[in-house]
Amino acid sequence: MLTAKISKDKLDPNKRSLLQMIHVDGWLLLGLLVLMGVGLITIYSAGGQDWHLIQRQLIRLGVATIVMLAVAQIPVLALRRLSIYFYGIGVLMLIAVLAVGDVGKGAQRWLDLGFVRFQPSEILKLAVPMVVAWYISRFNLPPKLPQTFAGFILAAIPTLLIAKQPDLGTSLLIASSGVFAIFLAGMSWKLIGAVTVAVSGFTPIMWFFLMQDYQKQRVLTFLNPESDPLGAGYHIIQSQIAIGSGGLQGKGWLQGTQSQLEFLPERHTDFIFAVFSEEFGFFGVLGLLAIYSYIVVRGMIIAINSQDAFSKLLAGAITLTFFVYVFVNMGMVSGILPVVGVPLPLVSYGGTSMVTLMAGFGILMAISTQKRLMSRS
Amino acid sequence: MTRNATMTSHAKERVVPTLLQWRFWVVVGAVGMVFLGLAFRAAYIQVIAPDNLIARSDSTTIRTKETPFYRGLITDRNGEELAVSVPVRAIYADPKVVHRDDGLADNRRWQALAEVLGQKVDELKAKVADPTRRFVYLQRQVSPAMADYVEQLDIPGIYLRNESRRYYPTGEVTAQLIGFTDVDDKGLEGIEKLYNNWLTGTPAKRKIRKDAKGRQVEIITEEEGEAPHNLQLTIDQRVQALAYRELKKAVHYYKATSASAVVADVNTGEILAMVNAPSFNPNNRQGVSAHRIRNRALTDAFEPGSSVKPLAVLSALEFGSVKPDSIIDTSPGWMRLGGSLVQDHANMGKIDLADIIKHSSNMGTSKLALSVPKQFLIDTYYDVGLMSDTGTNLIGESSGLFHEQNRWSDFELATLSFGYHISVTAMQLTRLYTIIGSGGIKRPLHIIHSDTKSEGERVLSEENTRAVLHMMESVLEDGGSGKKARVPGYRVAGKTGTSRKAVAGGYGEEYVNIFAGLAPASDPQLAVVVLINEPHGDLYYAGDTAAPVFGKVMAGTLQLLNVPPDDRKVSSLASNSGDSHAN
Repeated sequence: MLTAKISKDKLDPNKRSLLQMIHVDGWLLLGLLVLMGVGLITIYSAGGQDWHLIQRQLIRLGVATIVMLAVAQIPVLALRRLSIYFYGIGVLMLIAVLAVGDVGKGAQRWLDLGFVRFQPSEILKLAVPMVVAWYISRFNLPPKLPQTFAGFILAAIPTLLIAKQPDLGTSLLIASSGVFAIFLAGMSWKLIGAVTVAVSGFTPIMWFFLMQDYQKQRVLTFLNPESDPLGAGYHIIQSQIAIGSGGLQGKGWLQGTQSQLEFLPERHTDFIFAVFSEEFGFFGVLGLLAIYSYIVVRGMIIAINSQDAFSKLLAGAITLTFFVYVFVNMGMVSGILPVVGVPLPLVSYGGTSMVTLMAGFGILMAISTQKRLMSRS
Repeated sequence: MTRNATMTSHAKERVVPTLLQWRFWVVVGAVGMVFLGLAFRAAYIQVIAPDNLIARSDSTTIRTKETPFYRGLITDRNGEELAVSVPVRAIYADPKVVHRDDGLADNRRWQALAEVLGQKVDELKAKVADPTRRFVYLQRQVSPAMADYVEQLDIPGIYLRNESRRYYPTGEVTAQLIGFTDVDDKGLEGIEKLYNNWLTGTPAKRKIRKDAKGRQVEIITEEEGEAPHNLQLTIDQRVQALAYRELKKAVHYYKATSASAVVADVNTGEILAMVNAPSFNPNNRQGVSAHRIRNRALTDAFEPGSSVKPLAVLSALEFGSVKPDSIIDTSPGWMRLGGSLVQDHANMGKIDLADIIKHSSNMGTSKLALSVPKQFLIDTYYDVGLMSDTGTNLIGESSGLFHEQNRWSDFELATLSFGYHISVTAMQLTRLYTIIGSGGIKRPLHIIHSDTKSEGERVLSEENTRAVLHMMESVLEDGGSGKKARVPGYRVAGKTGTSRKAVAGGYGEEYVNIFAGLAPASDPQLAVVVLINEPHGDLYYAGDTAAPVFGKVMAGTLQLLNVPPDDRKVSSLASNSGDSHAN
């Protein structure tokens, strides 16, 4: 009797759980909350046990979570219709930034709208996967060559504009979000091969014409950090020392010397993974990777279970972009990738990018919880 | 158009997902691989190769800090300070900070700094020219007043550090004995070097962990150091000053190359004074030549000449080949031993042992030396320490020169009896005289004040040493070679020694004048040796040079130490001066 009732509940499209009614994916939310917890604990240690820092991070997390919940309420159809406008506005703002933007830390990234200052590149982090998913899903899948090419162009425009600011990390994330959408749509393997060749051909051009001196320096330093141990190589060497001195079990929370003693720069923001690794050791790193894997897998499951091409591509692209965040950050901190300013998502202390990230998860939740409505319409 | 496109995708929905599904799982797999890669990377850094990184972490954070102490005092036996440490400052620069804070901009301040330090502005600036350096001394051991001025100049990147400077209140009087330290307060010469560890102690060591800004965050281990110790010498600064004053005058008056004197307490072996002239100012050693720094009383060995003659008499008495009242025939004043000639300055005929010493008869001592087995003679020389150091452990002490031979010719044995064929230092000679003075007890000489009296070792019989001591008194009598060494009111026993200095291939025209003696002769308290090296004036016999210096040093010391007079023959000043007139 009981089993029948459950299966009936499950089968009944109108019978929805409370979480579904408020458009929240419980599994995803669980993963995100655990991650935020880990982040707060690590920031407390990395920031020199400063409660003020924790309070500010809590406020940010709260705002970001509210944004996520709000975005989750937007019908997926609306997202789809709005994506091209969203993209258009974003690109215009990028152009405006290059023209009149504020300079901060040597790069032109901020746009002052009078009441709020923000980085338009954040909009594009969502707008690019949205518009590419929207565009590709208009055609029969897998996409044909001209459509694939057009998709690339859509992703390339903001990528180049952001690279010009210069903000290598963000442009990398945006490019990958577009590419992931196209790839998931079923881009042919031949084309993938061709693109790989093209990119490797493009590298020297990028090196000589597009990259700024400081970016070149970063790459050179990455290749040989010992060349300048007190200068540009300092970050890399110090963070590897921090990670390595953690050992198998770590030095314990609040016990990390490299990080506590301020040898490690940016230790509560981009390099927080080094603090985490030093204090929690290899076991901690495995645990953290497990949490990230869980979130990525959950995101991919949402993508796979969604019922239209736009949702699938968008959910997949957002999830993979999140993954790229994790990979690039951990890669740079552990010395297998050059230093680019990418935070460790939801763990690093920091503002704008977190809101965007959570808005992306809001879209995932919208897709996850609204599919029944979609299928019924 | 939009509707159409939407229709298209909708229409395909049933077919397409399978293809997409497959790609999604590929992607999930790829993500898994990448995470696995990151895990391997972490495993490599943290588990496989962490030792190197842990070591590097420690090397940047762990520091050993030493808390230095000021060097201990050196005082004489009465607590008078011979070496003290005074606080001074060192001026140093951090060129990196100088450049970062634009420290070179204010030229006027640099001008002022250069003036006060007595350096040239350009040279000063050149010292801080390299912006990668973090530490460079501009000037060390700067007086507090100068340091305050520099502090007020407030030039970015110029700092002050506390350090100490050694100061020697007695200056040149004790210069060779005390030695000196380098700019880092490390002993370089003399007592300062020998007792460096005792004087500095062991600095307390603290192993600390510091953060990137150099702040101490954790004390890992703490090692308590040993506080520096003061050092009290057996030297009596009053005697030392007196002896130095006399030597300085003597060097000047007799146009000597150098002079040394040692005053020792016969009963304890304590050195009361050890002086050399010419000396140097240890507080300002600029341009001092090395020969002035040498503690010649310890380092330079000379053939002692007649000053060891009492020893030849003693060995004959000890062996029993003669009695104290024996008469020796020294005529005709010369003899041939092998192919070589031994002679006196005159034919003295038959004389007793006292006259042999009084008139310094080479014939007499040679005959005495040859009257005992050669091994007995040489053993006696060994027993009184002429072939070993004196036990002070002082740096650079020579134990003399003596060539142990299997075969000795009679001539060589004879020359040994009047102080050739062997070289000794003033210290060794002093030691010999303390043995004679103490009635045959040998003690190591020492320079460090100590309440425990060192155990003596009897090497000669009291009876014979007393007898020889008495004979040595005759040296200062009328007709003796050492009458200028007399000390009014005291009986003094002594012996002159005038030896030619050996040069390549024989003996040259340079002399060494020695007077060694003991007083009061009735109960010897003090042994004094005065050595005048290479007098270039008209006077070059020990009786004319070393003897009067000895007299003054001995007289002053006896007075300073309140030794009661023992010369009953001289009961009044009048008879004393009358006595002097008679000579």
